[in-house]
Amino acid sequence: MRWLIRRVLKQGKGAVSYEEDVHFGDILSIGRAADQAIFLSDIRAALNHARVTALSPGRYKVESLILAGIRVNGELTYATNVGAGASVEIASTRIVLLEPPRDFEAAVEISTLDKTEQEAAKAKRAKPTSLRETWLSKRFPSWLLFVLVLAFGLLLPAASHFVPALGRLMGHIGLPTTASWNPGPLDAAHRFFGDDCKQCHRTPFLTVRDEACTTCHTRMAAHADPARFNLPQLGEARCGSCHQDHLGLAGMVNTDESLCADCHTDLPARTQNATQLADATDFGKHHPEFRVRLPAWDASGKFTPQLTRLAADLKENSGLKFDHALHLKPDLNSPRGRRSLDCASCHVPDAGGLAMKPVNFQSMCQDCHTLGFDTFAPDRQVPHAKVAEVVYMLDDYYAKRALEGGYTEASAPGFVQQRRRPGDTPLSQQETIEALSWARNKSRQVADSVFTGRACVTCHTVTRAAATNVPGAGWQIAPVRVAGIWYGEAKFTHAKHSTMDCKDCHAAATSKSATDLLIPDLANCRQCHAGADGGSKVASTCIACHRYHQSGTLQLNTL
Amino acid sequence: MNARHESILNHSGARWLWIALALIVVSLLAYALHSPAVPPNGGTWLGYTLGTIAGLLILWLMYFGVRKRSYSGTSNLRGWLSAHVYLGTALILLALLHAGFQVGWNLHTFFLVLMLLVIVSGFFGVYCYLRYPTLMTRNRESATRSAMLEEIAELDQTALTLADGIDPKVHDIVLRSIQNTRLGGGVLAQLRAHDDSDAALAGIRAALEAREKSQQAAGGAKSGQTIFAMVDFLASGTNDRQAEALRKLIDLLSRKKTLASRVARDIQYQALMEIWLYFHVPLSFATVAALFAHVIAVFFYW
Repeated sequence: MRWLIRRVLKQGKGAVSYEEDVHFGDILSIGRAADQAIFLSDIRAALNHARVTALSPGRYKVESLILAGIRVNGELTYATNVGAGASVEIASTRIVLLEPPRDFEAAVEISTLDKTEQEAAKAKRAKPTSLRETWLSKRFPSWLLFVLVLAFGLLLPAASHFVPALGRLMGHIGLPTTASWNPGPLDAAHRFFGDDCKQCHRTPFLTVRDEACTTCHTRMAAHADPARFNLPQLGEARCGSCHQDHLGLAGMVNTDESLCADCHTDLPARTQNATQLADATDFGKHHPEFRVRLPAWDASGKFTPQLTRLAADLKENSGLKFDHALHLKPDLNSPRGRRSLDCASCHVPDAGGLAMKPVNFQSMCQDCHTLGFDTFAPDRQVPHAKVAEVVYMLDDYYAKRALEGGYTEASAPGFVQQRRRPGDTPLSQQETIEALSWARNKSRQVADSVFTGRACVTCHTVTRAAATNVPGAGWQIAPVRVAGIWYGEAKFTHAKHSTMDCKDCHAAATSKSATDLLIPDLANCRQCHAGADGGSKVASTCIACHRYHQSGTLQLNTL
Repeated sequence: MNARHESILNHSGARWLWIALALIVVSLLAYALHSPAVPPNGGTWLGYTLGTIAGLLILWLMYFGVRKRSYSGTSNLRGWLSAHVYLGTALILLALLHAGFQVGWNLHTFFLVLMLLVIVSGFFGVYCYLRYPTLMTRNRESATRSAMLEEIAELDQTALTLADGIDPKVHDIVLRSIQNTRLGGGVLAQLRAHDDSDAALAGIRAALEAREKSQQAAGGAKSGQTIFAMVDFLASGTNDRQAEALRKLIDLLSRKKTLASRVARDIQYQALMEIWLYFHVPLSFATVAALFAHVIAVFFYW
């Protein structure tokens, strides 16, 4: 086999000359030993470094004879089959395998790498020694993350706002919609439409409008009449000022004192004297004395409570005469023996625990205060609270007694006193007329005595219409109001104060007159309650007792 | 002259530490004294205030990337870095107070997490900047990396000449050792202080074994490391002159090995000092994007 060995000789200034040689043999040995077909003098070459075998014209097998391997086309290898054009680098020598020219079976070209070429080759083989030279980059991932976060965090959700159908699709396939902007859990009542942000947030970059709320909350009462009070000028009074959603269950009802106090300061000046309310900013520190609904009745007898500022000497007119101190003494003498009363004997809370039920005569008083009118019939009593019925009943009763006879009172005629036995002759017409006349007189007399002497007047104020000066007629009982709502502007409830004793707030034990107003005042409440920063007392903001949506006539959505 | 070395942490009497602490204390006080009627959140006046401060702080922290590249500034860069570190740390608390410690599965918490990742990666950076320069200096023993590399190249040449005088087999082994000493490499190779010789060796050995199997040719040094191979050779009995040369060679090669691992370690330290930035910087850009998204989203649905 004929090998063409062409040596490239560099002669400076880029001039090149070739020296050709012929080698006979199947293999081309390369190394530093003297017997090598290609002799390399570089110390970095082994004695027998490598060998090349020509497989066919233009195909070569290159084998390394040392453990270090050789570099073929820049790759470290032990043995490889290559075509023409492959280059083998050993130390500073490059051996290029060529397409054999005519008359040769194989050909190689040998050139020496000069310093710059060696450096370049070395640099090419050198591995990166700093991260900057590796694939790592800061700029690309920075841009990528910036764009991705902006796209998935802002642009896609915003798109889902403007194109609802797209939003539904995105939600379906798990892409972030405006739901990903939800800063916190909604109030429980709002969750059924909570997936649709636009139900409340109707216009981007605008706060939630009240109309969004009153769409559902149609019957929410207004705070005050905007015709008289310019609420928006007084302070921020959007729904959202007090009711913030996305704060879970804690956010919806804002009990912050400043929500009220910010406006209820300098009220007369702010409202140009449109309000009669006094300023109030903190229950513990700055709150006017309560205004109590004192019982009163107009000329027609209609109950028209008078809102009156509490004062030490304020008296009430319940329409009753009653001595609390007397009734609370132990071991009272009653028709059924000794009895002790307590508050609950007469004052029973209503079903909701808010106020007390009206005092009931039949169940609470009548045991002792019987309405008997005739010692000959101790079981008979006149009906309570029915003035006309009393007179009718007395008429009926005495007529019956007169006609039956046997009514042994001295004032009665003899045939009335006489007990009639079966078979006696009936009363004559004259006697009947006399008997009934006596009965009517007796009835009137007893009636007057019942109203003014014995029964009614014990507790009630009884008057007689001036025009009617007929015995037994024209009696009037003053209207009575014992239990009811005393503080209409506040929502006091007895049920929440069940751990207290009645006497803690109501000084009944020392009250000798029903005109004593036993309703507790501000100072009494302040024993336990203070304002927002309550300290050791119960922290009570305005909302603890007052309602914002308090108008009885105006509704928010009609304003 | 201050005896202690001034680091980014105690720059000008740890001025930025005190400023950051003051910021933290003021924020904490405001948070403690602020008692909104609703649970603390980003929508109260304090929430908006803290959010604005934190947002501007993020932009200012980002500006450090610009400041770092410019050499024209009057203030020194170490001061900037000190402020960057301390105020960046204070940002954790500012953000948490701004949010009223509320988290959820939403964009806003995602933003928080991104920001925390940036800050934590920054902590690693601070650790690196404090630790590795010293280690690097100690490791280099007042030489430079290029000087060490040059020395390695010289040692290689000398070793080859020596080996050639001993035995072609030894020359072969030394040649292989030179080829296998590869410093640097991919990201992991740099971080692991790998001079790649073992990996290359394993590959070569596997190839060799395969070749030997196919050729049924026994022989050749099988033992892995150059020095063990030498010792094998030494033990196999040679003449004194060769043994002497071999000892010299072993000395040379151990010196080279020391140098090579030192360079590898140098590369590792440098890589460790840089690697966190490849997380810190992209994540910080993601954080800025999240900041924009957060602010716009919040006011989009005001």
